[in-house]
Amino acid sequence: MELAEPNFEILSRRAEIVAGLKSILPDGVVADRAGLAAFDGDALSAYRQAPLVCVLPRTKEQVAAVLKFASANAVPIVPRGAGTSLSGGALPRADGILIALGRMNRILEIDIDNRALTVEPGVTNLAITRAVEDRGFYYAPDPSSQIACTIGGNIAENSGGLHCLKYGLTTNNLLSVTLVTIDGETVRLGHDRGYDLMGVVAGSEGLLGVVVEATVRILPRPPVTRTLMAAFASVPDAGQCVADIIAAGIVPAAMEFMDRRCIEAVEAYCAPGYPAHAEGVLVIDADGLQSEVDAATSRIAAIARGLGAEVREATDEAERARLWAGRKSAFPAMGRLAPDMLCMDGTIPRRKLPEVLARMSEMAKTYDLGFCNVFHAGDGNLHPLIIFDAMKQGELARAEAFGADILKLCVEVGGVLTGEHGVGVEKRDLMPAMFSDDDLAQQQRLKCAFDSGGLLNPGKVFPTLSACVEQGHLHVSEGRMPWPNLPRY
Amino acid sequence: MIAENEAQVVDVARAARAGRRMLEIVGGGTRRGVGRPMRSDEVLDVSRLSGIVDYEPEELILTVRPGTALAEIEDALAAKGQRLGFEPQDWSAMLGTSGTGTIGGAISVNANGPAAIRFGRARDHLLGIRAVNGFGEAFKAGGKVVKNVTGFDIPKLFCGAMGTLGVLTELTFRVFPKAQRSLVLARQGVGPDESFALLRKAWSAPLDATALIHARDTAYVRIEGEAEALAEKKKFLDGWAEVDVIDTGFVPGRRDIWRLACKPTDASRVAREIAAPVWYGDWAGAALWIAAEASQAAKLAALGGECIRGAAPRIVPDARAELDRRVKAAFDPLNLFNPGRMGV
Repeated sequence: MELAEPNFEILSRRAEIVAGLKSILPDGVVADRAGLAAFDGDALSAYRQAPLVCVLPRTKEQVAAVLKFASANAVPIVPRGAGTSLSGGALPRADGILIALGRMNRILEIDIDNRALTVEPGVTNLAITRAVEDRGFYYAPDPSSQIACTIGGNIAENSGGLHCLKYGLTTNNLLSVTLVTIDGETVRLGHDRGYDLMGVVAGSEGLLGVVVEATVRILPRPPVTRTLMAAFASVPDAGQCVADIIAAGIVPAAMEFMDRRCIEAVEAYCAPGYPAHAEGVLVIDADGLQSEVDAATSRIAAIARGLGAEVREATDEAERARLWAGRKSAFPAMGRLAPDMLCMDGTIPRRKLPEVLARMSEMAKTYDLGFCNVFHAGDGNLHPLIIFDAMKQGELARAEAFGADILKLCVEVGGVLTGEHGVGVEKRDLMPAMFSDDDLAQQQRLKCAFDSGGLLNPGKVFPTLSACVEQGHLHVSEGRMPWPNLPRY
Repeated sequence: MIAENEAQVVDVARAARAGRRMLEIVGGGTRRGVGRPMRSDEVLDVSRLSGIVDYEPEELILTVRPGTALAEIEDALAAKGQRLGFEPQDWSAMLGTSGTGTIGGAISVNANGPAAIRFGRARDHLLGIRAVNGFGEAFKAGGKVVKNVTGFDIPKLFCGAMGTLGVLTELTFRVFPKAQRSLVLARQGVGPDESFALLRKAWSAPLDATALIHARDTAYVRIEGEAEALAEKKKFLDGWAEVDVIDTGFVPGRRDIWRLACKPTDASRVAREIAAPVWYGDWAGAALWIAAEASQAAKLAALGGECIRGAAPRIVPDARAELDRRVKAAFDPLNLFNPGRMGV
């Protein structure tokens, strides 16, 4: 992936841009080189770029003033939460302001009666649950980075987690958001009027505005959760088990698949006790009332055993934790095998799993790289982990090409490029594999409706930027391009 | 004009664009009076864009054309023990219309039913669409898998857009298992304050209730599951009695119909303020359905109500309305589709 060449005209105005921002935020501007280095990327670690300047607002009024400033001075602006994006969603630009929202981390209202929590964008995902768990409630979306990632970032990326199939993604758990537009207008978006703009803001990867406040839905904690592990002699058997569970009308709280490579890696790393020689392991949670959970787990176990699986049910919390420890250490376990790792994120129709895994193994031979697969089996979200050594000539490029081929395969079998990590810069150039020119033109017109100058997080999501013209007309070929320095392919 | 496939919709949209002809998009026609008064030059009948394209129960995925009858979809799903979680409502009795309610119409007006409190609204179930925009281009958005964040979530915009953003030609939904049994429990003889408080309590218990409704002097809870689960759930509902059905008694007649999003804890106060003769509260009070006189329109609009049928005041221009206007223009800049219906 090539990053954009900076716009030198903007770089030449750096001193006045910094001064202008300091007049808005006297104690919230980072402009020194060492300070900016702390903000030079996110969890897509292969890419590093310090921003032109970083601002740390404390209030929504300050956010509005910063956006107005960016707009008036035609400077790109990149929003950032905790910087845990795996797709480069918060990757700064050399010619852009980075607006980091971590200081806006107050919980504004806990409204148990209405099962709603109103928070600023910098509140972490886990802090939301922490704020209500003593009352028996929790916030359902639980991306693996939940201890660090912020709700603002979750909304931008429409984050998921292990429990999406039953409880939905971030967008399904939002009641309202307050958005500051690039013009500095503050608008509240909810379910009560007009188009479902909250629906498009969720998952818009910072391209439509900056969320400064959100009200999220909290759920009563299910009284009982039980975990079981099923080990299969073949991938098709594991896939069939998942299909049969769903067809039986069971929606497990979580249902995770690991392939043989992953099982071997985590066994060597933390010995969760998955059976040796298994070609695939499922770890499944059922939650709800005691009777519901009992009925679900006994049916799941029967389905799995009927397919020849070795099934183990956790009888206490310690065993439950152990069964999950393997799945939850897939990243570090693979990370130990090589210095660098790419985590891919396609979704496929579940029935295609055996075919996709087989074809991936073929690709791995061609690219001569190690990899393994973890799979949110309930919702078909596949996370191939590719390991490589970026210090070795050509390995990063090879890993990226392997990853791109995997995602194209996901699209080819009827799936999508990204299930929960977002497009960002990582999958930007793959968008045409899934969307036609007309599909992309419609998405870009929507972008233009919110940000006609193309200042919000440019270089993300769309492979090429097109000029916005009045009344929504888009001239892809004859338009004057607002960012002539962006690479286009 | 009748369109039988997407290519014909494209032709119609291009001709409309060239001739600046405004189109009213009609499916089964049961919801024709919904929304603001509109002006159009021609009717585009999409009822023949119909049928189930693909249904994969094990993937929880259903793809249909917009003119497919709700009843046909429900039957196909029920045969595999599944359903649409937002429980799309046929409004023909409420509106006094006749015809066949279609999925395209249900999506376009957000005809969410009681179970949406448990499973989410239409927007939470519509995963992908194909549509024809006001540029005369067929496009797709979203996907055909249950988890997808690739590109903007345009399908959500089409939920409740009343056909003003484009002509839907295909919709993909995630579906849910249908429970083995369901049970309606009621507390009769309760006023709105007490009733909504009871409903909120039930809502915060681990019941996964699929209906929490106050109507007239009764609170209703619908619970689902197998026999053992129902027995366990009933223990949380001490003092509630089994009844056969939920009777909202919502017969608006010729009155205007409003839907009002509200905080559940505000529901009884807001209902008192409006003092409508016919109303009920869904979703534990998060949605109030109100049959009102035209003279109450200003008050209902000020409370943030959505006028389903009747005379709605003009939308006051503000930053939010401006965003709606620009989004409309991003899909249909010449205002060819159902012009005026959203008031945008």
